[in-house]
Amino acid sequence: MDESLDSWFAREILAHEGALVGFLMRAWPHRNEVHDLRQEVYIRVFESAMHNRPSSPKAFMFTTARNLMADRIRRGRVVSIEAVGDLDALNVFTDEVSPEQRLSARHELKRLSEAFDRLPPRCREVVWLRRVEELSQKEVAARLGITEKTVEKQISKGVRLIAGYFFGDSQSGLGRRGGELEAQKEHRHGNQQAD
Amino acid sequence: METSRQIELAAAEWIARRDAGDWSPGDQVALDSWVGQSIAHRVAFIRLDAAWQQSDRLKVLGAGKQVGGPPESDWMRSPFFSSHDEDGLASPKSRIGSSGEVVEIRPRDVESLPDQASRRPVRFIAFAATLALVGFLGLGIRERNAIDVASYATGVGDMTTVPLADGSSATLSSDSKVDVALSRGERHIDLLQGEVFFKVAKDASRPFVVRIGNRKVTAVGTQFAVRREGAGLRVVVTEGIVRLDSEADVPGPKSTLLPAGSVAMAGPAGFSVHSGSIEATASYLSWRDGYLVFEDTPLKDAAAEFNRYSTTKIVIADPVVASMRVGGNFRYANLEGFVRLLELGFPVRAERHGDQIVLTSK
Repeated sequence: MDESLDSWFAREILAHEGALVGFLMRAWPHRNEVHDLRQEVYIRVFESAMHNRPSSPKAFMFTTARNLMADRIRRGRVVSIEAVGDLDALNVFTDEVSPEQRLSARHELKRLSEAFDRLPPRCREVVWLRRVEELSQKEVAARLGITEKTVEKQISKGVRLIAGYFFGDSQSGLGRRGGELEAQKEHRHGNQQAD
Repeated sequence: METSRQIELAAAEWIARRDAGDWSPGDQVALDSWVGQSIAHRVAFIRLDAAWQQSDRLKVLGAGKQVGGPPESDWMRSPFFSSHDEDGLASPKSRIGSSGEVVEIRPRDVESLPDQASRRPVRFIAFAATLALVGFLGLGIRERNAIDVASYATGVGDMTTVPLADGSSATLSSDSKVDVALSRGERHIDLLQGEVFFKVAKDASRPFVVRIGNRKVTAVGTQFAVRREGAGLRVVVTEGIVRLDSEADVPGPKSTLLPAGSVAMAGPAGFSVHSGSIEATASYLSWRDGYLVFEDTPLKDAAAEFNRYSTTKIVIADPVVASMRVGGNFRYANLEGFVRLLELGFPVRAERHGDQIVLTSK
């Protein structure tokens, strides 16, 4: 059990991102905050695991998510009766956690290929040449007749989208269309703030 | 304060920049410091980095596909996954495209056929054109540089490791025989007899394909052993992932992934896969060190194993003896010693008749 915290986190926590996001979407009234909530859950779980790794990581993650939402409601950042009601009802949800629902290698590969297939065409092409044909970013740029900067941008985009599709729930909107749009919007917003 | 999305964007930019090459120690320091700034950074980085590492495995899916860009977007429907998934009935058209071997002349001639025909006519025409082009190129390549062709064989009780021209190596067990053909598009091995352990040199553009009768095992860069046993085969994977494909007329799944730690046994009627630890697979490959490892193994299986390595054969004439269980590590060269141990520890009598040792119960 001398595994690094990082890989433990990827395997035991990130692997359940789809379920987590689904849960947050159902329980939290403000969809545009789900990305942020998700990160907050990850931070809390990670911090706690630095001291002591939970024995049932998935259940612990859901408990953390519920506590987080409860905290936010208490702090008055959201005043929503429905949210509180939902939260109680969702106690049941954590019981559904199966002990070892690890994805088989095959299943993982299938998800991965699905994630890859959902990339926008240019991004998909760049990722393929870089990852499968093992061209360098420079070679990819030459092959496609685009700048290296563009290749790097496409890789950066591919990294985010693959993570969203691979870890996330394939049906949930977060990280897909909606996510992309929101990301751009917030990015612009962020730039303004940064002035 | 940074939003979670800004952090995610920044983390993705780091990964893309690191991936661009020219990554200096100074860059690494800068990245480490960014990751160390907050748990939020660290978590976002772990998440994206893990996904990016995963994407390296796309190579396995790419094995055997054409080079020069990604395949059509529904590539994963066939032939790789179709047999297992809901749409088990691939359309006849895509089946023709999918198995490549339909155009069968010799397997190595069809090295880089695109793996699927599409339902849409336009794409199908494109496919047909590609097919013609590839066929043409294929011929050209075959005639010009007749590829690297070699055959290797071992006698009973021998073992040898041969380097292949692509940097891979093959360790032939006792009484084994392979034909090797390394072309530009594919590394093709025919396992004619026995068992061979392969260390495959990484080469994404040239899948490493071992054909065993009507099945084939495909790898990109990995370590595995394939044994031929009558009409069946056994595949033991110790590193990476390999893909086991069966031809359409073979019962059972058409395509299965075998990650490291898998032992697949295939017979004429289908196959089973046992997934265990990588250490556990080692006992299947101990022959490389001159040993056979048994654990609660029926004596008839242990004897069959010894017989692979010896011109003197153990013959078991007695069902009681056949079902006795043995365990331990034995030098396969020391069949006599094994038999003596049996006589000492079990109610077994051994009689020698020429090059046979017949075991009966006492």
